[in-house]
Amino acid sequence: MNYVIIGNGVAGVTAAEAIRQIDARGQITMISDESHPPYCRPMISNLLEGAVDVSRLPIRGPDFYDRLSITPTLGSRVTSLDVNARTVTTKGGQIFAYDRLLIAAGADPRPLDAQGLDLGGIFFMRNIAQVQEMIAALADTRHALVLGGGLVGFKAAYSLLKRNIGVTMLIRSGYPLSMQVDETAGEMIQQVLCDHGLTVRTGISVTAFEGGGRVQTAHLSDGSQVPCDMAIIGKGVFPAHGFVPTDRIDTDAGILVDDHMATSAPGIYAAGDVAEHIDIARQKRWVNAIWPEAAAQGRVAGFNMAGRALAYRGSLSRNVIRMFDTDVMTAGRVSPRDTDETCRFFSAADHRRQTYRKLVFEDQILVGFVMINQIEQGGVLASLIQSRTPVKISAHHLLDPGFNVSRLFDR
Amino acid sequence: MTHHHTYTITKDGQLLIKKMESDQVETVWDRHAAQQPQCGFCDLGLSCRICAMGPCRVDPFGEGPQQGVCGADADIIVARNLCRMIAAGAAAHSDHGRDLVEVLASVAENKAPGYAITDTEKLNRVAAEYGIAADGKTPEQVAGELAHAMQEDFGTRKKELALVARAPEKRQQLWRKLNIMPRGIDRETSEAMHRTHMGVDNGWQSLLLHGLRNALSDGWGGSMIATEVSDILFGTPKPAPTKVNAGVLKADQVNVVVHGHNPVVSEMVMAACQDPEMTKLAEEKGAKGINLCGLCCTGNELLMRHGIPMAGNHLMTELIIATGAIEMMIVDYQCIMPALSKVAACYHTKMISTSDKARFPGMEHVEFHPDNARKKAYDVVKAAIENFANRGETYIPVEPLDAVGGFSVEAVVGALGGTPAPLLDAIKAGKIRGAAGIVGCNNPKIKHDYGHVTLTKRLIENDILVVDTGCAAVATAKAGFKVADAISHAGPGLKEVCGSLGIPPVLHFGSCVDNVRILVLAASLANALGTDISDLPLAGAAPEWYSEKAVSIGAYVVASGIYTVLGPMPPIAGSMNVVELLTEGLGEVVGATFAVEPDPEKAALLIRGHIENQRRKLGLDAAAV
Amino acid sequence: MKQVIVHPERCVGCMQCMLACAAAHSKTGALISAISESPRPRPRIHVGAGRYDEGFPNRCRHCDPAPCQMACLPGAIYRQTTTNTVLINPDVCINCASCAMACPYGVIRYHADPLAPADKTIAVKCDNCIARQHKGLIPACVEVCKVGALTFEEMDAAMKKKTDQVARSMSAEAIAADHAPGFSLLNTIKRAQKEINLSR
Repeated sequence: MNYVIIGNGVAGVTAAEAIRQIDARGQITMISDESHPPYCRPMISNLLEGAVDVSRLPIRGPDFYDRLSITPTLGSRVTSLDVNARTVTTKGGQIFAYDRLLIAAGADPRPLDAQGLDLGGIFFMRNIAQVQEMIAALADTRHALVLGGGLVGFKAAYSLLKRNIGVTMLIRSGYPLSMQVDETAGEMIQQVLCDHGLTVRTGISVTAFEGGGRVQTAHLSDGSQVPCDMAIIGKGVFPAHGFVPTDRIDTDAGILVDDHMATSAPGIYAAGDVAEHIDIARQKRWVNAIWPEAAAQGRVAGFNMAGRALAYRGSLSRNVIRMFDTDVMTAGRVSPRDTDETCRFFSAADHRRQTYRKLVFEDQILVGFVMINQIEQGGVLASLIQSRTPVKISAHHLLDPGFNVSRLFDR
Repeated sequence: MTHHHTYTITKDGQLLIKKMESDQVETVWDRHAAQQPQCGFCDLGLSCRICAMGPCRVDPFGEGPQQGVCGADADIIVARNLCRMIAAGAAAHSDHGRDLVEVLASVAENKAPGYAITDTEKLNRVAAEYGIAADGKTPEQVAGELAHAMQEDFGTRKKELALVARAPEKRQQLWRKLNIMPRGIDRETSEAMHRTHMGVDNGWQSLLLHGLRNALSDGWGGSMIATEVSDILFGTPKPAPTKVNAGVLKADQVNVVVHGHNPVVSEMVMAACQDPEMTKLAEEKGAKGINLCGLCCTGNELLMRHGIPMAGNHLMTELIIATGAIEMMIVDYQCIMPALSKVAACYHTKMISTSDKARFPGMEHVEFHPDNARKKAYDVVKAAIENFANRGETYIPVEPLDAVGGFSVEAVVGALGGTPAPLLDAIKAGKIRGAAGIVGCNNPKIKHDYGHVTLTKRLIENDILVVDTGCAAVATAKAGFKVADAISHAGPGLKEVCGSLGIPPVLHFGSCVDNVRILVLAASLANALGTDISDLPLAGAAPEWYSEKAVSIGAYVVASGIYTVLGPMPPIAGSMNVVELLTEGLGEVVGATFAVEPDPEKAALLIRGHIENQRRKLGLDAAAV
Repeated sequence: MKQVIVHPERCVGCMQCMLACAAAHSKTGALISAISESPRPRPRIHVGAGRYDEGFPNRCRHCDPAPCQMACLPGAIYRQTTTNTVLINPDVCINCASCAMACPYGVIRYHADPLAPADKTIAVKCDNCIARQHKGLIPACVEVCKVGALTFEEMDAAMKKKTDQVARSMSAEAIAADHAPGFSLLNTIKRAQKEINLSR
C-alpha cells in the first residue's frame, strides 16, 4: 500500500503514526511546504514571546521519519491533485502516486487588502520561519501594529507586550477574541491587555503602509496615522485546498469529510485545518482549525486509511489562553454570533476571586462556556459538551467555585 | 455567586451579602463552602485528639481501625467527644454567670462605679432561695451575702446547687436517683474533663449521664445565676417595644453596636451612649446623635431590659459591618467570629474587644473590669464619635420592623394576674395546645433564619405558644412575629388568648443564658399542676444550632424533661448506640429524648405530635397530627 | 499490575489522602517538615465536595489513550508503560493549560512544585507514587485511607469483588445490610439540609 500525506503538521504526524500501528510495511510519503521537522504550531507564539527557543518546538524526535520509515519531501508545496490518475504534483513538478491520500495541508493566513504590503517589517504569523524573521526584526522595533483581534492577533500582541514592545491592536469588532468569547469576557481580556500597555482601536482598518524599505507608518480608514516599525496581519486563516479539484471532491469552506475522515473521492481523506466535519456544539458542518482536533482527526484518518474502521465524533471549538495573571478558557458556542433565542445562559462573576463563568445551554445540553480564571475544571465542562449528556442538575453547581466532577454523579 | 436566597431568607441579609460580594469581602458562607467536604470522621464524632498516643479515628465502614490506640471504640470516642462539647458549653455559660456574680460582689463592696442593685425585690427573693434573710440589711449587704453563696455554687462544698430547688420535687428525686444531681458548677465541668481523659470513664452510658449532670449544672446553675444576677443588677425585663433588623442603624447618627453576651459591658456602653454630654459631642461632630444597637445575645440583654434596637443575629454580624454605617463594634465574648475584624478593616468600623479572656486579631483591646467599666465605656464611645468623621458611603438596605421584647417569667406571670393558672387553663381547654421553646444559633449549614421562622410559623398556626431566646428570638422578631398583630398568624385558640392579653404569639424570653427562664416557667407550670416537667405538653427546638453552648442547653433541657428537636446533626452518628440512647433510650431515663430533623416543616410535625401525645397522657383532648 | 481504585461511596471527606499526597511529593517527605518547604508541596489528589457536600477523592485515571497527552502542546505528557502511568515532564511543560481543557476529570493543577525546576509553574498531577512504588511502598493516598475509599489492587480482583457484591445484593434472600448506618444517617441529614437550602 502506498500512502501519501500532504502536510507534516500534527494531523499528518498522527495519521502517519496510526498507519504504522496497523501497517508496518506500506510505503508512506509526507510532503510539506515547510522544511522544519514536525513542530507544534501553537507554540510559535511562545517562541515570539521568548518563553521557549526553537529547539523546543518539534513534537517528535529527530528520528521521526526514519523510525516510522517515512519518506519526507520537505519545502515543496502540492499544487495539483489528479483524482483519476491518483497522483499529486508539487510546485517543483514532482509527481507522487498514491493508493491512499491524506490531505492535511493546513490553512493559509488570510491576506490583507492594503497598499504598501511589500515593505519590510510586515508579517503573517503562521509558521516558524515567519516568527524567526519577526524575532530578527525585534531589535529595531519600538512599536508594533497588530491587525485583528482574533487568536493570532491576540497571541502576537501578548508576545510583543511581554517583550516590552508597545502594541496597537486594530479590531473590526468591539472587543478581542469576539469569535471565542462573549462581550463580558472580551472586555475583561481587553482590560488585562490594556493594563499591560496595549492600545486597542475598534471598528477601524489599515488602508496603506508607508516607509523607506521598512514600514514606518500605517494609514488608517478614519484618515489617521499610526507610527509602527512592525505590523502583524492576523485576519484569520482559510483552508489550504486551492489545489483540490472541487468538481471531483466536495468542498465547502473546507474539504468535506465523513465520520471516517474520507472525502467524496475514493481513497482520499482529509484531516486538520483543511477538513470540514461536524461541530458538536453547533450540530452542523464546521471547520474547527485547532490543534487538538487536528491531532484527533489525523489519528482517525490514519486508522481508516490503513483499514481499521474508526469513527470521529465531531469537533469542538475550544481554546485556553493564559495572559499575565489571567486565564481564559472557552469552548463551543459562546460568542453572540453563535447563540440565539433557543439558548439559555447562566453566568456568575465573582469579583473577589476575579472569576467569571458563563454557560450556554440548549435545552439540557451544554453547548458552550467561557471561564475567566479558576479554569482547572474546564475539561469537565468541555467533556459535557462533547458527550452531549443532558445536564439534569442545577446550573448553580456548574457555576459554583467548588464545582468538580463529583457534582455530576448522584450518590 | 449570586445565590443569596440559598444563604438567608432575610431581605437585609441578602442585600448585604450582595454588597459584600461587590465589595469583595469574604463571608461566613464563602468560608463554609471552602471547607467542603467537611471531615466525615469529625462529623461522625469518630476522631479523637484527646491524647498523644493519637490522634485516632474509627472507620465507620468496619474494615479499618475500630479502636483508638488506647482501645476506645466508636461508642466511647463519640461519648467522650460529646461530653467534652457539653463541658465547653456549660463552662462558657457558667463563666459568664461567674462574671456577673463578681460584679454583684463588687457592687456590694461599692467597688463597681456605675453598677447598682436595680431590682431589690428580686435580690431579696433570690437571696431567700439561698437561705439569706434580707431583714434589716442594706441591699448591698444582701448582695454581698448572695454573691458569696453563689460562689459556693461554683465550688465543691455543696451536695446540690441551690437553684435546683426550683425544679419539681419529682424531677429532683429523679436526678438524685440517677446520680446526676449537679453538685458544683465548676466541679461538673472539671469532672467531665477528668472523666474524658484517657483511661478514666470508658462507659459510654456513664459518660453521657455525667454529660447530663454537667449540663444541669449549667441550666440550673451557671446560666440561671447569670440571668438572675443580671436581673438584679440591671432590672427584671418587662414588655417594651423595640425595632429590629439592619434598618435599625441610622444614616445620620453615630452607630455603636455591642456584640457578645455579657450585659456587664453593654450596660455601661449604653449608659455612656445615653449621656447628654456624649450626645452633645456627637452633634459637634456633625451627627444627629448616638444610636446604640445590639447584636446577638448582649443585644438581647439590652433589648429585654431597655428596648435597645437589635441589628441582627449570629450570621448577620459580619454583614452588618458592610453597611459602612457602624462607627464602632464593641465585643465581649462568645460567638464573635474572628473574621469580623477583617470585614471591619474593609470599612471604617472600629472594633473593640473588652474581655480579658477574649482577644481577637485586628481589634483594639480596651479591657473592662467592674471597677473601670464606666470610664472605659466613655472612652470607647468618645472614640466612636471621633470615628464618625471617617465614615464613607453607607448602605442601610431596609427599614426596621417593630417588635416587643421583655418577657421575663415575672412579666408573663404578672400579665396573667400573678399566677400561671390562666395559662394552664388555656392549655387544659385546648385553646393553647402547649408551648415550645425555640432556641439556639444560626449555622451556615441551614439557610439563615429559615429553620427558626418556619418552625415558629407552623407551631403558632397550630395553637402552640412559642417562647424563644438568643438568635432564634432575633430571627422571629425580624420575621414580624413579635408584635401583637402577629396573632393573625396564630391559630384561633392562641389568637384568642394572646389577643385578650395584648401579647404576641411568640414571646421574647431573652438571651441564650435566659433559656433558664423557660426552665423556671416550665417548673412553675409543673409545680402548679403537682406533676413533673416531663408530663407537660412542652417541647424544645434548636433548628439552627452551632455552638457547644447549644449542646449543653439541649442536654439540660432534655435532662429537665423536655423533648427537644435539633436541626443540625450533632457529631454522634458514628455510634448508633449513642444515637439510640439520645433519641430513644433517654425517654425511659429522664422522660424526654432528642430528635434530629433538619427540615423545620417536619420538625413542626414532630413537635405537634409530641405535644398532642403529652396532652393525651394528661387526659386532655388530643388531636391527631 | 496493581492500580489505585477509588470507591467514592466510602469517602468520608477527611482529606487525609491530600495531606499524605502532598507530603509524599515534598522534598523532605514528612508532613511536619513539608509544610514549611518552599514551594510548599501540594496534593495531587483532590477531595471535592459533591452535590450534597459529600466527599469525593478525585485523582488522575491515567486514561488510555490519555486526552491530556494528546492535547499537550510541547509533548511533556507521556505514558510510562511499565507502570501504566501518565506522567508530565516538568522540564518540557510550558504551563499552557491545554491539558486542563482536555482532562474530563479536572485533576490537573498548575503551580510550582518541589520536585520541578525552581520557580517554574507547571502542570502537576498524580504520578501513582512511582517513586514510593520503587521502594516497595504503596501509593501514599491509599496508605492513609482508613475507610477503604482508596485501595491498591489488581483491577481484575477489584472487578471480581464488585461483581460478587452486586450479585449478593441481587439474591432473593439478601437483606440490604447497611454496614455504616451512622454514616448513612449523617448523609441523609446533610442531603436534606442542602436540598432545603437550595429550594426557594
